[in-house]
Amino acid sequence: MSSLEFRDVGVTFGFGPGALRAVDGVNLQVPDGTVVGLVGESGSGKSTLARAAVGLAPLTTGSITVDGTPIPRRGTRPVQMIFQDPVAALDPRMTIGASLGEALAVAGVRGRRDRGRQIGRLLEQVHLDPELAVRPPAALSGGQRQRVALARALAAEPKVMIADEITSALDVSVQGAVLNLIRELRRDLGLSMLFISHNLAVVRYVSDLIAVMYLGRIVEIAPTEQLINDPQHPYTRLLLSTAPRLGATLSAGRLPDGVRDVEPADPHDPPTGCSFHPRCPVGPAVDPGRTDCVTDDPFLSIDERPHRAACLYAGRHSLRKDPA
Amino acid sequence: MSAANDHVDASVDSTAKDAAPSSGKPVSGRRSRLAMLFATPVGIAAITADLLVILLAVFGPIIWGTRAETNDFDNLDSGPISGHPFGTDKLGRDILARVLVAARLSIGLALSATLIGIVVGVLIGTMANLAGRRLSRVFSTFIGIAVAFPGLLLALFFAVIFGAGPTGAVLALGAAMAPGFARLTQTLSASVVGRDFVSAAKVLGVSRLRVLTRHVVPNIAEPLIVNATLAAGSCLLAFAGLSFLGLGVQLPSYDWGRMLAEGLNAIYTNPMAALGPALAIVLSGLAFNLTGELGAQLAGRRTTRGRRRQRGAADGSDDQRAPGAGGLPAAADTPSSDAVLVVRNLRVSVRTDGGTIEPVRGVDLTVRAGEAVGIVGESGSGKSLTALSIAGLTHEPLEVTADELWFDELDLRSAIGRRGRAQLGTSLSLVFQDPMSSLNPTMRVGDQLAEVATEHQHLSWKNARERAVSRLRDVRIAAPGRRARQLPHEWSGGMRQRAMIGMGLMGEPKLLIADEPTTALDVTVQQQVLELLESTKQQSGAALLLISHDLSVVSSVCDRVVVMYAGRIVEELPTADLEHARHPYTKALLRAVPSMDTPREEPLATIAGRPPDPASLPVGCPFAPRCPRADDRCRVEPALLPVAGRRALGLAACHHPHLDPVSESGVSIVDISKVGAPGIGETR
Repeated sequence: MSSLEFRDVGVTFGFGPGALRAVDGVNLQVPDGTVVGLVGESGSGKSTLARAAVGLAPLTTGSITVDGTPIPRRGTRPVQMIFQDPVAALDPRMTIGASLGEALAVAGVRGRRDRGRQIGRLLEQVHLDPELAVRPPAALSGGQRQRVALARALAAEPKVMIADEITSALDVSVQGAVLNLIRELRRDLGLSMLFISHNLAVVRYVSDLIAVMYLGRIVEIAPTEQLINDPQHPYTRLLLSTAPRLGATLSAGRLPDGVRDVEPADPHDPPTGCSFHPRCPVGPAVDPGRTDCVTDDPFLSIDERPHRAACLYAGRHSLRKDPA
Repeated sequence: MSAANDHVDASVDSTAKDAAPSSGKPVSGRRSRLAMLFATPVGIAAITADLLVILLAVFGPIIWGTRAETNDFDNLDSGPISGHPFGTDKLGRDILARVLVAARLSIGLALSATLIGIVVGVLIGTMANLAGRRLSRVFSTFIGIAVAFPGLLLALFFAVIFGAGPTGAVLALGAAMAPGFARLTQTLSASVVGRDFVSAAKVLGVSRLRVLTRHVVPNIAEPLIVNATLAAGSCLLAFAGLSFLGLGVQLPSYDWGRMLAEGLNAIYTNPMAALGPALAIVLSGLAFNLTGELGAQLAGRRTTRGRRRQRGAADGSDDQRAPGAGGLPAAADTPSSDAVLVVRNLRVSVRTDGGTIEPVRGVDLTVRAGEAVGIVGESGSGKSLTALSIAGLTHEPLEVTADELWFDELDLRSAIGRRGRAQLGTSLSLVFQDPMSSLNPTMRVGDQLAEVATEHQHLSWKNARERAVSRLRDVRIAAPGRRARQLPHEWSGGMRQRAMIGMGLMGEPKLLIADEPTTALDVTVQQQVLELLESTKQQSGAALLLISHDLSVVSSVCDRVVVMYAGRIVEELPTADLEHARHPYTKALLRAVPSMDTPREEPLATIAGRPPDPASLPVGCPFAPRCPRADDRCRVEPALLPVAGRRALGLAACHHPHLDPVSESGVSIVDISKVGAPGIGETR
């Protein structure tokens, strides 16, 4: 496996005043053999970024490369993707074996017998009974289908894998098995992976690095433990404090009054300065003195801050309300 | 460890599937359905007509070819006589024979035109979705323009270009038919192309042609074939029309249209000369249409069957219900008179042609005033159906029965009158998962809230609107006066959920039922909505019944948790006691959810196997096949029994519950007779 690199990637949908900058100047690297988790709320652009990496969304700016080579827009992509919906993931008119066989054929496995052997091997790799090859997708459960989708992606021998919310449509009892499989494949095959989810606990469990995305930009990135234990961006803190925990009361995640009921920003019309400022629990809505958040671009000196956090106050002094 | 677990999981899955008939022999199933369909009047008529038409087209010219060309100079232009049942034409040729011989040309031409129309149409239609972005736009624009042209006009136009004659007419009709098919294909394939498996194929590098032939066409084939058959019928008519006008088949060839034109001149001397070919046109047109109808039925039947759940031979319902011990308040000393909701033995069933399925099988539940109760369970556990049937929102074919179903001293089992409805309207409020579909998209949000008050509390519109604005302020909508005049699409998902909660506050709610209210929302918004639910409950004193798949959501808001599995309550316990859950299913569920503290080095705990199919439930405990503690006794139905918790009493439907170290000896299992729950004495 190898590394995937996003350099200044931008994806804009539409033209003129109605245009939507779904992804806006993203720099992100998925190093060889690591799993990078990507979290963010709906509309943050995380799925668009994933689709751009496999050529399903056109780049407006920047480049996406695997080991320095741009991703081709046709033919077998070196990056393969697994999707969210286990029902839509497989062609209902094709048996499991046919779906895998198609991927193998593209990957250059010729001959019926060879392909049959490979199909069996792939199914075993994702812990499914090779006998399932003759079944239609309708005979499989959601978790089994996601594993077939994983096997199909593996058939193309990708350099990097992208998993887009692959467990969010599954029940918790099934989710565990899929997550275990991801970790196992990463260990056995050295899989490089971009793992996208809105669920921080799930991302934390599988990822080595976590990147946090807000309104089309990556606002913080750090090794998992550091990000969870010492978040630098107020948005990351917000995500962590509102993530539902067993046994925790709601008051643990309660926000200051000024930002308690603020609506998520409209991606068509992002706020000026730091795009998070209207919702920020330590920003101008709570601390009127922090006017620079409304005017200054927090991405300008991002390299100098811990976790590359896009917050003017990250690392400089306390994120708490009282100024240092 | 994880590998072993997964293996078990997979093998259990496949064996479970082997046992289920759904995937057993799909081929024979389809065949028998085909046979069934062919036995219907439409089926028989279609098959007979098709056979006749095909035989005629193939063998007609061979059998009657010479006879159709033989001139009977004794009977020129004659009416029906012996030897010539339909009479003869100007050259004394037998009209019946000519009608039969013309079948091949007429049908052949109609089919070729249809074929051209379909092939061109499907190609253009799919290109509009599959080609590059710019090219796709060109194709869809072209289709849009082409569809706007009347078919006959196109045909006439092409006939002029290609010249009058069969080739020109076939091409003309094909070309005239193509735009319609292109549009149909475009619409159908757009939905297929947008699906993930096509995206996956693209990413894999599967060629466009293969994506088209293997993924797109098979998934749109059914409606296309049906339409093509119907189109063939109208094409036959259109072709006859063109020939009739002299634009189609030219002498010396002849088809039914041409014969009709010739026969029409002699309509007064020999009506059969015109009626004969006309009859042939009508009959074969009918044959095509019947075939199309048959195809449509077949396709329709297949999709409806696919949607319906497959069922096993087992009847699924087991009448030996556990004696009800559920609904028992967590603290047994509280009198049940302050109960807002009392449910006893609630059952929801669906009758299908293979027997009865029971997605909810005897749920007992009590919610007291001001209490927050959460129902958790995985998909298919029956939690949402329980909530819906309490609210009386189930429809045919679902059938709801209960021994008791009381809400606020209102017996919901019998029909409630107008007053009862008004009481229900003001004291029971509901919040659903999808905030977009629970609000009327064409009505201002404020008016939707006000409607509740005008309907049930007979307030004037003005007063009701004022109250709506004040309730929106209560649910912390900024600028409620302005917002109330907006339509739902101008509100965000979180705001819509708040509006739904506000709608519930229009009356004096005694119970708020929230079914997955935050599942469609982001975590930050989820926090806002949950906080609002909690403060609403505190301020209004209403009880809350929160249904969710997420244990942590339920545990953050509720006092008591009810765990459902396969249509039954398997455990009921105070939220504070959750980590000391008794039932192996609850325990496994708790372990399976990754949390912020889950050790990252170890594999996650999984639950082997999958939830049982509601159509073929095991006789005993539904969790037994997946349970590490299950033994022979579990095959007998375990009742919802009281078990001692650390702080308070909980209930678990298990013979081998996880107990605290102290109670493992069995000492602290509460003496059933002291609990005083109805029916508990009957348990084993």
